[in-house]
Amino acid sequence: MKQEHKSKMPRVACALVACVLIICALVYAFRENKVAIGQYNSVARPPEIYPDYSRAVIPPNIAPLNFLIQESGAHFCLKIYSKQGPTIEVFSRSPKIMIPENAWHKLLDMNRAEQLHFDVFVKPKASSSAPKMPNDKWNKFDTITNKIAEEDIDSYLVYRKIPPVYAAWRQMGIYQRNLHGFDESLVLSNKYFGEGCLNCHTFCNNRTDKMLVGIRSPQYGSSALLIDNGTVSKIGTKFGYTAWHPTGRVAAYSINKVNQFFHSSRTEIRDVLDFDSLLAYYLVDSKTVKTSPPLAKKDRLETYPTWSADGRYLYFCSAPLSWSDHRTVPQNYDQLKYDLVRVSYDVDHDQWGELETVLSAEDTGKSILLPRISPDGRWLLFCMCDYGCFPVYQAGSDLYMMDLKAARQPPEASYKYRRLDINSDQSESWHTWSSNGRWIAYSSKRKSGVFTRIYLAYVDEQGKVYKPILLPQKDPTYYDSCLWTFSVPELVTEPVRITKEKLGRVVRSSRKISVDMPVTMATPTAGALPSHDEPWRQERQ
Amino acid sequence: MMQGSLGKSSNRTPIWALVAKCACRRDPLGTIRTFIFFALFYLYIWLVVEPRFLYAGGGVITNFPVFFKGWEFFRHFLSYPGGLVEYLSAFLSQFFYYSWTGALVVTLQAWLLCLCTGYFFKAINTPRLRWVRFVPPILLLAVYAQYAYHFVTIAALLVALICVSLYIKLSSKTESPTSPSLAKGPAGKLFDLALFLVLSVILYALVAGAYFFFAALSVIYELLFKRRWQMALLYLLLAGAVPYVQGVLFFGASIIDAYTDSLPLSWKILSWATRREMVEIVYALYLLLPLTAFGLGLLRIFGQKSPLLKKHNKGRASRDLKKRLPGKPPNLVAAILSTYTASPILRCLIESVALFAIAGAVAFFFHNDEQKTLSAIHHYACRRMWPQVLHTARRNPNSNFVVNAVNRALYHTGRLAYDMFSYPQHPDALLLTAEDRVLAYWHKFDTQIDLGLMNMAEKNLVECMEVYGEHPTILKRLALINMVKANYGSAKVYLAALSKTLFHTGWAKNYQARLQSDPNLSNDAYIQHLRSVCLKNDHGSLFYAKQNALSTLLQNNSKNRMAFEYLMAWFMLTKQLDKFTENIKRFDDLGYSEIPRLYEEAILIYVYGTKKPVYLGDRQPTPEARRQIEDFSQTFNRYRRNKPAAFSELADVYGDSYFFYHLYGFSGVKQ
Repeated sequence: MKQEHKSKMPRVACALVACVLIICALVYAFRENKVAIGQYNSVARPPEIYPDYSRAVIPPNIAPLNFLIQESGAHFCLKIYSKQGPTIEVFSRSPKIMIPENAWHKLLDMNRAEQLHFDVFVKPKASSSAPKMPNDKWNKFDTITNKIAEEDIDSYLVYRKIPPVYAAWRQMGIYQRNLHGFDESLVLSNKYFGEGCLNCHTFCNNRTDKMLVGIRSPQYGSSALLIDNGTVSKIGTKFGYTAWHPTGRVAAYSINKVNQFFHSSRTEIRDVLDFDSLLAYYLVDSKTVKTSPPLAKKDRLETYPTWSADGRYLYFCSAPLSWSDHRTVPQNYDQLKYDLVRVSYDVDHDQWGELETVLSAEDTGKSILLPRISPDGRWLLFCMCDYGCFPVYQAGSDLYMMDLKAARQPPEASYKYRRLDINSDQSESWHTWSSNGRWIAYSSKRKSGVFTRIYLAYVDEQGKVYKPILLPQKDPTYYDSCLWTFSVPELVTEPVRITKEKLGRVVRSSRKISVDMPVTMATPTAGALPSHDEPWRQERQ
Repeated sequence: MMQGSLGKSSNRTPIWALVAKCACRRDPLGTIRTFIFFALFYLYIWLVVEPRFLYAGGGVITNFPVFFKGWEFFRHFLSYPGGLVEYLSAFLSQFFYYSWTGALVVTLQAWLLCLCTGYFFKAINTPRLRWVRFVPPILLLAVYAQYAYHFVTIAALLVALICVSLYIKLSSKTESPTSPSLAKGPAGKLFDLALFLVLSVILYALVAGAYFFFAALSVIYELLFKRRWQMALLYLLLAGAVPYVQGVLFFGASIIDAYTDSLPLSWKILSWATRREMVEIVYALYLLLPLTAFGLGLLRIFGQKSPLLKKHNKGRASRDLKKRLPGKPPNLVAAILSTYTASPILRCLIESVALFAIAGAVAFFFHNDEQKTLSAIHHYACRRMWPQVLHTARRNPNSNFVVNAVNRALYHTGRLAYDMFSYPQHPDALLLTAEDRVLAYWHKFDTQIDLGLMNMAEKNLVECMEVYGEHPTILKRLALINMVKANYGSAKVYLAALSKTLFHTGWAKNYQARLQSDPNLSNDAYIQHLRSVCLKNDHGSLFYAKQNALSTLLQNNSKNRMAFEYLMAWFMLTKQLDKFTENIKRFDDLGYSEIPRLYEEAILIYVYGTKKPVYLGDRQPTPEARRQIEDFSQTFNRYRRNKPAAFSELADVYGDSYFFYHLYGFSGVKQ
């Protein structure tokens, strides 16, 4: 038996060696051979590529912009070059172009503020070649040129990934994506607390050491998770749309009595109406919740708070509350339009000033929503749509920019604002600024119908917004069949370091910071904060 | 060169023949019995249970997995423990699409459970209990006969059981006298420990919480069979630590999921009533071997002379019997027992009869015909197999879900206005209102699409998608609706996702190609038809008010025949005959050459009841219809207008008429 065993060993070793050699041979045979493209035919147009990464300004630290060449061919080649550094050449038998990460990063880094060129070559298939174009010649398309920005984009992007409808709270998660590469990791999903809703993730000054996440759970109640320098605590009330004061000492948030309803015949089925809403603010040091008359008028709907860069003003949206029935969608729901207002605030003395209108819906004819101010305090980015409070459900929702520091026209005129060129015929919303104020990320439904995708766009010092690029994925066809909706993107400078297990444990814990609300909504019933335990529609089995 | 059983032979026998030969040599009758058992098992699952109805789900199974080709889908399963067995289960479950392939998968699962269970009892030297190996397949029969879906957790159990077999097989070599290097002692224990650890790490990654099954059996094996209590204790500690280290620290799972995922006591199963169906059987599957092994182990220690522990010896049994009764002639019972133990054929026969009887009884008593009917009807309705819908509906006609499908089938076969009251009817069934709204959505989205209520159907489908997953049935319809609405961006995403499924690629690719060549789908007759009937008025109130929605559909397109017939059905069901008669003028728009029977009856009831004329144009109720209403009235009057008294006679003759429904408020009583 031992001799038999010994005689088997050389055979096994030979077999292993043979396998390794065969594998090596296969890898060698199927590797993409670099081919020297000598002569080629010029095609007098740029190639069709998807996503459209052309004529844009791109971050110098972004992941490779892998794309699909939408031209018919048997072989494909991409040459990427700039002013300095070696040319990157990618050869492929499939139209999917996967750019090597290291070479990409090096090229971009050494060519900040320079142009980046893509030369696309396609070798036609044998049967489809025209007589004038011999089979062995490549076709070269017009060069695609982008510009590499000088300024980095924040390293991480945090967003919520949900199915197109989230009535039953089955699958919901907040994810973070490393923008240098393609890694996406889970910050928290609703599986960690037996399914519920989580959203309204907000970061203080684009940093993750101070952040808030709103939670609604039938099992563990509604709460807000406060992450503060490694400590996670649960505040015993749900924060709606939240904004951190630049000092990190105060967080303003909305309380919304949200109602979702549906259109019987419209491209976008869903719609949202706040039956009631108000603003409150949480004082981190004293762990108390307060509000103030300008923030919680009985005859107004207040929502979408955002602070000015210096923290001296709180901007928010306000609309007239013209109904008392909070169970039925009013007939004139499509007449509801929000103004953009602001109120001054002294954080040291916790004192509020008078309310003033920045931009009125009456002047614009549209509902003004989601104000976000650039970190340098100059630009106010917002969206406007025909009516209502939920721009992502309005195809006509577009992004606008206001110059806060521009000299005002005579006092009776309003601030200047303009519609951005980056808008599409679908909804644009959920915009966010990078920490250096040079990049914005936002959600758009262009070309993807009900599925929102995230776009990044460069903003220069004059406030000009350049052509956006779709958040790149390793597989450029990823979005083709992606049934997720990416919403509420937030640019942050570092990853969320608290583990999801820890976050989940805090949600499940019974320990919480109890808060009492000093004022109620515009309903006759006085008392505690409105309950947010019920989802819009809770699934019943 | 050494020769022996493994020596070279000049005649090469195929492996399968060797295995069969080996099996037959050991227990030929048992092999035949096992073959027959699993053949019958397969046939039962294929022809009686019909796994295609599990695939369809009937709206009851909410955890039937989806499967997509490609790396992106697979990658997700690598990120948490138990993901790989879920991926494999998702892949295998897709074969439920065809009943015969689904039955094959289930039979394979059952057979492997049987094989590994039998191996376990053989390995712990209790061959007398090998019959227990048939218990898991019988329990599986019960689960599938009830149309419950526990494939994933059972697959996890199977993988764990395979690992148990591996552990026992590999660790047994430590006792082999021919392998001195692996003899008992510290080296042997170390080897076993390493083996346990390696299997633990691999298994936990594969099956998450189901790993405890392996750990429990290993502990029992070490403690009670190998009598190595230190090893058992060590294994117990490792069993507690592995999920935490791997699950929580490495994979980042929640502590609850790290210890319970893939187990039948996971909250992902217990939180939903439909997923809890037959979960007790799954508990039994999980507990069967550990409890049996534990009991046997104790018996081994404390009951050395137990007959269970003695190897079976055919001749010895009868010799023992003779010894006990020396010199005395055996009585009848003893004689039977003696014959039983002495004759392998008789024994096999009796055991087989018992086995098949038990299995048959389980299959019979557990079979959930009601659920099968519901799932079958939904399956047929989704495929527009109308005769099958109507035929199957007779088995369980009273469910509103069934009635909804029946009405749709009747409409599409041109019989709604003639035969609807041959079936039980209820206003809630027409456009389905139910307590469980998502379950209702599952059964009515096709009705809504056919009518032209695209937005309602889309909303229902995406809510179903959230509950049931990205089921191809749902993706297909969402793609269709978005093409009808000219939302080509969304349609393309749904089509691309659908093209990655196993059995719906063709349909998806067909439409992807059509969108390329005909971007507006102007040449697609079905899409064009749906566009023509699509609701065009936008108002929130139309979403839920059935009557308004149907009326508005007709206002948008007076030729929407289905909307018309459903509206008329609604008026009849709710006895709003004034509104019913107001809509008769639409006959001309819709090309009715005659007044359908049930409409005649409704008109006559209205005219006779209100004495008001109804304008019918060139059409008139038939003399037969007039005669029937008069006969109906006379019969009712004969019983002094006593409904219970008149019921029997009226049901016999007019049970399928509107007269009957209008009087009694229910229908479908005529045999």
